[in-house]
Amino acid sequence: MVPGDGEGAGTGLEPRSQHTQPSSPHRVRIIDGTLVCLARHGTLKTTVDDIARQAGVSRATVYRVFPGGRDEVLAAVVDTEMARLFSDLGVRLGEATTLTEALVNGLVEATTRVRGHAALAYLVENEPEMVLGHLAFDESDRLLSTASRFVAPFLARWMSPAEAGRVAEWATRIVLSYVIAPSPAMDLTDPVRATHLVETYVLPGISALHATEVTAAIDITPFELERNTPDRRSDRHDSNRYVHTGHTTNTDQGDRT
Amino acid sequence: MDDTRQRILESTYTCVARWGLAKTTVEDAAREAKVSRATVYRTFPGGRDELISAVVAWATYEFFARLYQQVQGAESLEEVMERGIMFAHRSILEHEVLQRVMQTEPEKLLPTLTVESNRIRQGIAEFLVPYLEHRGVADGVDLVEAADFLARMVLSYMSAPGRWDLDDPDQVAQLVGAELLAGVVAGPESGPDGPTSPQAGPIR
Repeated sequence: MVPGDGEGAGTGLEPRSQHTQPSSPHRVRIIDGTLVCLARHGTLKTTVDDIARQAGVSRATVYRVFPGGRDEVLAAVVDTEMARLFSDLGVRLGEATTLTEALVNGLVEATTRVRGHAALAYLVENEPEMVLGHLAFDESDRLLSTASRFVAPFLARWMSPAEAGRVAEWATRIVLSYVIAPSPAMDLTDPVRATHLVETYVLPGISALHATEVTAAIDITPFELERNTPDRRSDRHDSNRYVHTGHTTNTDQGDRT
Repeated sequence: MDDTRQRILESTYTCVARWGLAKTTVEDAAREAKVSRATVYRTFPGGRDELISAVVAWATYEFFARLYQQVQGAESLEEVMERGIMFAHRSILEHEVLQRVMQTEPEKLLPTLTVESNRIRQGIAEFLVPYLEHRGVADGVDLVEAADFLARMVLSYMSAPGRWDLDDPDQVAQLVGAELLAGVVAGPESGPDGPTSPQAGPIR
């Protein structure tokens, strides 16, 4: 169920440092060793020597795998951790059997992983400028784009690809907002709270988006419905498919019973 | 805020506009404000770091004060949000000093913005509460929680439009209607179940 499995054209998740075999065992050890160092004392005090020692390799090996040195290692760490997060997120999204479950799983997984990330937590606390540069304005746009392109196919089981893209971006915004500035009353690592948020704010919004997409766009409804047919076995009763808010104006077949 | 502090902050802002955050010193601020260095240090005992943080905070509050002025005349919740998002988006893009600082030295700016973000969000939420009350929230929606959620979303779109064209009033209306207000307001056409979804219970 994981989309874009090595199928080439950029998910935007390919590692930026292409100097070595991606599956080199040294590479992974060096990256994981760096993560330990970062969690312990951040970027400023993490040298190639520290990294080598923690990874159990020689300095020479670090430079062989990452000729660009420390900066290249740090860039690779970011890429790898992002890829790992998306991979685990994909598993949780793929496990979901309803739209609500997908959204809740996604919010809980992403929030939990980011909040629990030791190296990230250290940096946010002690070197905020390192992290925040990647979260503001243009960088945020890029992150939204990457995340939504990854998540959208999982949501398209229940809506058109265009809507899935919008909803995926929206879900990413929600995660970012609550991760950067947590609210005690809305702890998204808690499935109960995440469900409350999804049911109260997100599902009605998805309905509304669907209604406006149908009326505003060129009518390609027959094609969309055909595409979704294999999933619709028991969908007549699956009220997750298009959540009804009591005023149905669209033409889909997800009838309420 | 007393006059001296205000004057120093405005002057510091002028220096930042001219030279950027990194190159603005206490001396520059003092000279521009026509006060002594001692006065600056007395007003900002934490020195240059405190001065820079203070000017960022001050500029941020000025931004929102102007924004609130722009949307004051709005009559409905929808209008206040649509106007707010459009104005904020434009203002940020056209804010020369902010844009320059973001390009050249974001790491100086962002920690302060993040520290202030809770207060900013609270300010937006408090601003929205009367409009929410007037409009009426859907059954089972907590007013304070909804206001906080809306404030979060507004800040998110302001800082990163994503796939939305925030200069297009139709798109902004769609955005506000769907991603912001759909679950929050008591709809005019609520069915027997109200605006909540006919889901089975929470997912465990």
